[in-house]
Amino acid sequence: MRKYLVALTLLLGACAPAASSQGQGEILPDLDLSAFDRTIQQSGRPTVVNLWASWCLPCRSETPLLVEAHRIYGADIDFVGIDVQDDQVSAQAFVAEFGVLYPNYFDPAAAYRVANGGTGVPITYFFARNGTLFDTHVGVLTEQQLALALDELLAN
Amino acid sequence: MEFTLLFAALTAAAFGRLALIQVPQAARRRVSDLALGAAMSGLVVGRIGAMISDGVNPLTNLGTMAIIRAGVDTGFASLAALAFVVWSARRQLVLLDGLAPVALASLGGWHAGCLWRGTCLGTASELPWAFAQANSAVTRHPVEIYAAIGFVLAALVLAKVQFKPGVSTGVGLAAAAAIRLLTEPMRPSISGGPIGWYWAALLLAVGATLFALRR
Repeated sequence: MRKYLVALTLLLGACAPAASSQGQGEILPDLDLSAFDRTIQQSGRPTVVNLWASWCLPCRSETPLLVEAHRIYGADIDFVGIDVQDDQVSAQAFVAEFGVLYPNYFDPAAAYRVANGGTGVPITYFFARNGTLFDTHVGVLTEQQLALALDELLAN
Repeated sequence: MEFTLLFAALTAAAFGRLALIQVPQAARRRVSDLALGAAMSGLVVGRIGAMISDGVNPLTNLGTMAIIRAGVDTGFASLAALAFVVWSARRQLVLLDGLAPVALASLGGWHAGCLWRGTCLGTASELPWAFAQANSAVTRHPVEIYAAIGFVLAALVLAKVQFKPGVSTGVGLAAAAAIRLLTEPMRPSISGGPIGWYWAALLLAVGATLFALRR
């Protein structure tokens, strides 16, 4: 029994987060709310805006899914992350840890959430090509929910 | 509150009253212990699985293990719950056989819970019963309703038909895997879905059924 416990301990120890050794990422630019809204309105492409925070455990579950979705749908749909109620160092470490390649903005006051509605994090906003808000998802997205929302964005 | 899980539990409780009538009284007393043990095993193992997947060390973050909202790996949770029930009731195949239709009905209830969450829709379809979500003109398969109907039908068949000991358990697992496998292509997905898990469960179930038939 003891050897199994030792093996389990070593296995779990190997899974320790690598975040502390990272954090060499770029500084996240501050969010300019009006400029950001204008960009979404004028892009002519569907946009997915994901609100996250480095301390938010559900965001850790969700981010790999968004990274994968961006890899597959990135040619047709814009993905943007907004880090709220956070600090720059933790935010950069989070982006580096998950290999997030889509642009991310820094919004410590959560002004975007105040302007667009919703509570807590994560929240994901889905914008149609014409810039109108198509859907808002509060909480962790499942793969099925995200796939359906992206399919709807492309179809409408 | 996860109402789909609540709905699954209520369906299991309601269906269990009917399906477990065939199970001897002495064995029936263990059902609630088994259900509770399976739920706890599934939650703990599924949560640990999700933490490891997210790069969080469960040993150094014991407190966060209780934050179920942060994610439970359903694959690990299902395996743990299944393993707990099979191991605990391995000497009472009649109890496992009695539980098989209850588990299927419960899965049916869980899928039907999509009506509460508004997550029933799958890939695009022009069939007469396909419907669109709010703000959309694209009609879609109500794929979770298909799955719910499949699970409830399978549960009813298993509850009605008498098999040799152990066969109902194998057939139940095979039915669950087959229903998920058949509906998966109609489910919107980014990674393609856990098709490998369903095939593995189907093969395991067919093997278990054949073994039970030959005993």
